[in-house]
Amino acid sequence: MDNWRAHWSNSLKALSLTVLVACATISASHAQDGEKLFKQNCASCHTTTTKKLTGPGLEGVFDRVPSEEWAIAWVKNSQNLVKAGDPYAVKIFNEYNQTLMTPFEFLSDEEITAIFDYIKNPPAPEEPVIVDDGGTEDAEESSSTNPLPILFTIGLLFFVLIIVLSGAQKSLQTLVNQKAGLPAPQDRTFGQSIADWFKKNKALVTILILILVLGGLKYAWDEMMNIGVYEGYEPEQPIAYSHKIHAGENGVACVYCHFGAEKGRAAGIPPANVCMNCHKYIDEGPSGKGEIAKIYAALDYNPETQTYGPNQKPIEWVRVHNLPDHVYFNHSQHVVVGKIECETCHGPVKDEYTVGKQFAPLTMGWCINCHRETGLQMADNGYYEDMHERYKGKFKKGETITVDKMGGLECGKCHY
Amino acid sequence: MSTKKYWKSLDQLENTEEFQESAKNEFPSTSPVADLLSNEKLDEGSTNRRDFLKFLGFSVTAASLAACETPVRKAIPYLNKPEEITPGVANWYASTYADGSDYASIMVKTREGRPILIEGNKLSQVSKGGLNARVAGSVLSLYDTARLTQPLSGGTPAEWSAIDSEITAKLQAIDAKGGIIKILTNSIISPSTKAVIADFKAAYPNAQVEQVVYDAVSFSGTLDANQASFGKRALPDYHFDKANVVVGFGADFLENWPASSGYVADYAKLRSPKSGKMSKHFQFETNMSLTGSNADVRKSIKPSEHGKYVLALYNEIASAKGASTYSVGGELEYADTVKKAAAELLKAVGKSVVISGSNDVNVQTVVNAINYLLGNYGATINLNKQVNLRSGDDKAVTQLVSEMKAGSVDALFIYGPNPSYTLANATDFNEGLSKVGLSVSFSGNLDETASLAGYVCPDHHYLEAWNDANPKVGQFSLAQPTIRPLFNTRAAQESLLAWAGKPADYYNYIKSYWATNITADWNKALHNGVFAKAKDIPVEGEAVAPATLTYTDNSASAASAIAATKAGGEWELELYVKAGMGEGQQANNPILQEFPDPISRVTWDNYITMSPKRMKELGLNHLQGQEQEADVVELTANGVTVKAPVCAQPGQKYGTIGLALGYGRTKAGKCGDGVGVNAFPLISWENGVSHLENTNVTIKKTGEKYHLAATQTHHTMMGRDIVKETTLAEYVKDNKSGNPDVLLNTTNHGPQPPENVSLWDNHDIAKGHRWGMSIDLNACIGCGACVVNCSLENNVPVVGKDEVRRMREMHWLRIDRYYTSDMTEEKAEAEGLGAINKFHQMEDPSENPQVSFQPVMCQHCNHAPCETVCPVAATTHSNEGLNQMTYNRCIGTRYCANNCPYKVRRFNWFRYRDNDKFDFHMNSDLGKMVLNPDVIVRERGVIEKCSLCVQRIQAGKLKAKKAGRKVKDGEIQTACSAACTTGAIKFGDLNDDAMEVTTLAKDPRSYNLLAEVGVQPNVYYMTKVRNIENEA
Repeated sequence: MDNWRAHWSNSLKALSLTVLVACATISASHAQDGEKLFKQNCASCHTTTTKKLTGPGLEGVFDRVPSEEWAIAWVKNSQNLVKAGDPYAVKIFNEYNQTLMTPFEFLSDEEITAIFDYIKNPPAPEEPVIVDDGGTEDAEESSSTNPLPILFTIGLLFFVLIIVLSGAQKSLQTLVNQKAGLPAPQDRTFGQSIADWFKKNKALVTILILILVLGGLKYAWDEMMNIGVYEGYEPEQPIAYSHKIHAGENGVACVYCHFGAEKGRAAGIPPANVCMNCHKYIDEGPSGKGEIAKIYAALDYNPETQTYGPNQKPIEWVRVHNLPDHVYFNHSQHVVVGKIECETCHGPVKDEYTVGKQFAPLTMGWCINCHRETGLQMADNGYYEDMHERYKGKFKKGETITVDKMGGLECGKCHY
Repeated sequence: MSTKKYWKSLDQLENTEEFQESAKNEFPSTSPVADLLSNEKLDEGSTNRRDFLKFLGFSVTAASLAACETPVRKAIPYLNKPEEITPGVANWYASTYADGSDYASIMVKTREGRPILIEGNKLSQVSKGGLNARVAGSVLSLYDTARLTQPLSGGTPAEWSAIDSEITAKLQAIDAKGGIIKILTNSIISPSTKAVIADFKAAYPNAQVEQVVYDAVSFSGTLDANQASFGKRALPDYHFDKANVVVGFGADFLENWPASSGYVADYAKLRSPKSGKMSKHFQFETNMSLTGSNADVRKSIKPSEHGKYVLALYNEIASAKGASTYSVGGELEYADTVKKAAAELLKAVGKSVVISGSNDVNVQTVVNAINYLLGNYGATINLNKQVNLRSGDDKAVTQLVSEMKAGSVDALFIYGPNPSYTLANATDFNEGLSKVGLSVSFSGNLDETASLAGYVCPDHHYLEAWNDANPKVGQFSLAQPTIRPLFNTRAAQESLLAWAGKPADYYNYIKSYWATNITADWNKALHNGVFAKAKDIPVEGEAVAPATLTYTDNSASAASAIAATKAGGEWELELYVKAGMGEGQQANNPILQEFPDPISRVTWDNYITMSPKRMKELGLNHLQGQEQEADVVELTANGVTVKAPVCAQPGQKYGTIGLALGYGRTKAGKCGDGVGVNAFPLISWENGVSHLENTNVTIKKTGEKYHLAATQTHHTMMGRDIVKETTLAEYVKDNKSGNPDVLLNTTNHGPQPPENVSLWDNHDIAKGHRWGMSIDLNACIGCGACVVNCSLENNVPVVGKDEVRRMREMHWLRIDRYYTSDMTEEKAEAEGLGAINKFHQMEDPSENPQVSFQPVMCQHCNHAPCETVCPVAATTHSNEGLNQMTYNRCIGTRYCANNCPYKVRRFNWFRYRDNDKFDFHMNSDLGKMVLNPDVIVRERGVIEKCSLCVQRIQAGKLKAKKAGRKVKDGEIQTACSAACTTGAIKFGDLNDDAMEVTTLAKDPRSYNLLAEVGVQPNVYYMTKVRNIENEA
């Protein structure tokens, strides 16, 4: 009974809490709407601070404009005010080089008020959070320390042990011999004793040598196979760009910047003017303004006039993924037709603070394995429907048609 | 003078014996090596043999380890990416090629802002999607290391601003005294440029500014004849697509004729036997021209007989039409053929063309009379829709030279021509040039003329510049820059505008000119590259509007002049223009130098062509081959003597010789200088008109020998049916005539088709794609544009003359040219000839042979013999029917090349890039800009061959896959099929019934080359059908 009562009262408490939270949410929703609407409609030209973008910074705007009603009218259609000859409207219009502000007639008065409320009480500027990923990586590094020195130490210990033990054995033998009245054992050198031991244990020695030779060969083979393979290559780059911040935290689509991946052979490094689509407004990252300023410097960008200057200097990135010249690789084939995720070959860029790091070995074996395992994306593709018709009877029903079954392992598909 | 003496050493002061000895040896030859080796204590030295081996081993290991290090590669993106460029994706721009003689509306393929290939623009009603080898190769001239990088004043580099102020000041001085200013140009077909020249004239109103139009190969005679006959100095437009009968007199209208690309396309339309009808083409000519080699009936005549044959034809037509006839003044060898031609012409009234290449106004007058009698004006010949190319006036040029020599010309601007090289009286011109106060050349290269000019203001290359063209009345096209100017050059028009005191902005100038005069829709015109002004193009049938053009029959005086022509001397000369070199403007273009002449197959040279019979009589070597040296003779004409090797040319008229213009440049650049001899001084000028013919020249043997480099040294088919042939009459009777099924005798199963007799298992060729090609030998005229574009598309290296002579040329696509022989299997049997005798005689082409052309590339055999012999599986078969070549696997055994029945595999004997021994375009950063980034440049020691442009196939498939549809017909074109003006080469998927190539492969005319070998190629040829009588 008590149990039941307790349960009931708990439920009640939970219920009341839910209601309370809900109420609180409702009261806060107005401001949140304002924030959302501001970001959707206004943020590309205005900030809530005093910083000018295409339009003026909006901090303290309501101290400047004639009235809030005027502001609503202005937001809905600023040109009407200008045409009507409103003095303040004309002043602002001329001040901003007669740039038209997009009319927002689809916004209701309530929504605009919500935006105004947001502008009046903007969120406190966030302290840049510097995530110290390097620390955790270091920890991982130490936990998986190189086993070689340990093995070497153990080996050394055993070696000392053998010498000590053989010395002990020698003195023991001398003692035994003394007791038995035999002459002391011959004082042989260490080398001689080793040679004697080798002679006694021929089979063991042969096996040991064999293992050593085979091990050496295996090591040499592995090393040779790694010539020209630069898995994990992560060169120093001119700008400390982070894929984690852009693609991970901010969810920018890979192909927004690497637009070439859908169009042609090269995914490409984005041109600086693509960076400026966002960084015209965002001039500060977690590590300060330094890195983004490098883009501005490259473009000779003047934030005041928002124009590119004449003294432009290209950004010299270091190429991370280097395929040999005799391979033809086309990104759009894999991204658009094959619908392969970027991460399949480029690794978890969204989780790593890297500019660029070679994730895949990029060897021919790696390419071919994937071609052997990956099925063709034939659904809703007229090309493959036509091919399917032609290949009738060649494949079993339900069989996955992998790339190699359509000639994806042939030399001439990648080498020409 | 000082008497002090200085000694270098005490030895010198004492003058010891040792010093005297050493003074004799300026460079002492004693070296420490001998001392070292003679040292008996060598073994005791610190470095013994074992140490040496250690060092050696260490350095080898270190070197190989260092080689493993991958260099850090930079990737530098655009800062501000142009909207239309996506790295890795090609852009195509419509533009225009016009150099006064050739015109083509073109599509320029650019990669990352570099033009790398040119194809024809199918929207053009003038060039009709066609282009010739010179236009195709012109993209490489953009990356010519001999181009001027900046303006020159008095031979030294100068600033544009300084040059502008100097020239303007001089011009103003000339204007003030009312001096003479001449602008020497080639035939300018750009209306905006003409307007710029007019503006320039207007800026100097007091001076006498005159434009002189000069074409190195002149059509002055035709122009003057049309002036006399119709009152209009213009070249007519021809409609070969309506001409059922064509009679040509030395007119190479398929290769060297104003706007010939369009004519080639039209001509080919009537050369298909499909409907049972074909045009009939008679050609009377001296040299074997490309046009003549395609004629159904070809007769070789002497240049001195040219006019008489025209007159004889006129007489035949005139007597049938009841017009007055004239005396020919002698018997003609081929009077029968003339009669036959006349009969054919009379059957095709209003549907024929008679055309002559002579620059003699009398001959052209009679040709006009013939065409008038045949009612061709307004039907197949259109004088209202005139061709604006080759509008040069020889008489004005002659006058200019004499005025210059007299010192009366104050300023000379040279835009286009290179008279110091092309004028027969170049020394007079040069002398005159030195007397001209202000001489300015716009040449992009420091050529023969520019190097003598006071100022050189280099023009952009045409691919860097804005321009427009008006090749025919009512037909306009635009040229747009496809690359930012590589050097500090300036458009000639902008220079003229600057000196006329106008803003030097030719782009806006053209734009406003077009807006006012041509069309308001600039963007569309620019996109299409062409614009046709409908109201200027006369409706068919009323091409000769009687009100404006009236025919004046002035044939009588012309005929008497022709009849009075004296017979030529022992030797008559006809100069001609080669398909690859033209007038020599692009002599420094290695791809065009290595382009084999379509007829002689000789590269890197011009030479005297002579009939083999005459050569044997003279004891000159008529054979060709790696070790066969040509004899050098001295040729004297107009008092000018040149030395040139002699090359046997079957079909050349006995007693005549030919020599190509455009060679022997001295200031073209590293590739073009000293290649061949300059034949321009041999041009004869009579009555102020230039003639390529010279009826009295002398030949003298010199005993010298010379190597010619030919890509084909065997000229006949030796009785085999490599090119299958039939006649139209036979074809109409039986579509399979000339192309019987190939059957092989088997022991147990009787005659069987070759595919049933095979050692190998079949590839599964019925499924998926099977890429293949069909080549219509009736449509192929052998022009070779495909060869040039193949080389450019596939980064085929240029190997140079010496390597070509060793048969090591790298062309993936060759055009075999075969002559017929008088000896046939049947004839040998009838005469009872032994095998050796028979084959020996079969090697000799006929005196006037029939010619056939056959493009041969890798045949992509389904049972490829190369694949079975490769020890490393470097050449394998794809599931799409391609014979693939994997360069990185190839170890260079060359077994495959030995086993290929078509001899299409090429071996990289050397590294042809970055190699000073092969100092062509692949040896400089500038030249390498033309390389196609989708195709690898092959290394030394590997085999390469035609891939059927696998990069284009892959790209085409990808396009279809991305769009989610099947591959469309015609969507994928190989470089050769895209370059083919006549549509002879068709490419497609042989497993797709909807494709044209599949239909063609099943045509009764279709056959596989050497089908009896049983290799089952994916390339098909179509029997050549000649429109001749069976007995002919």
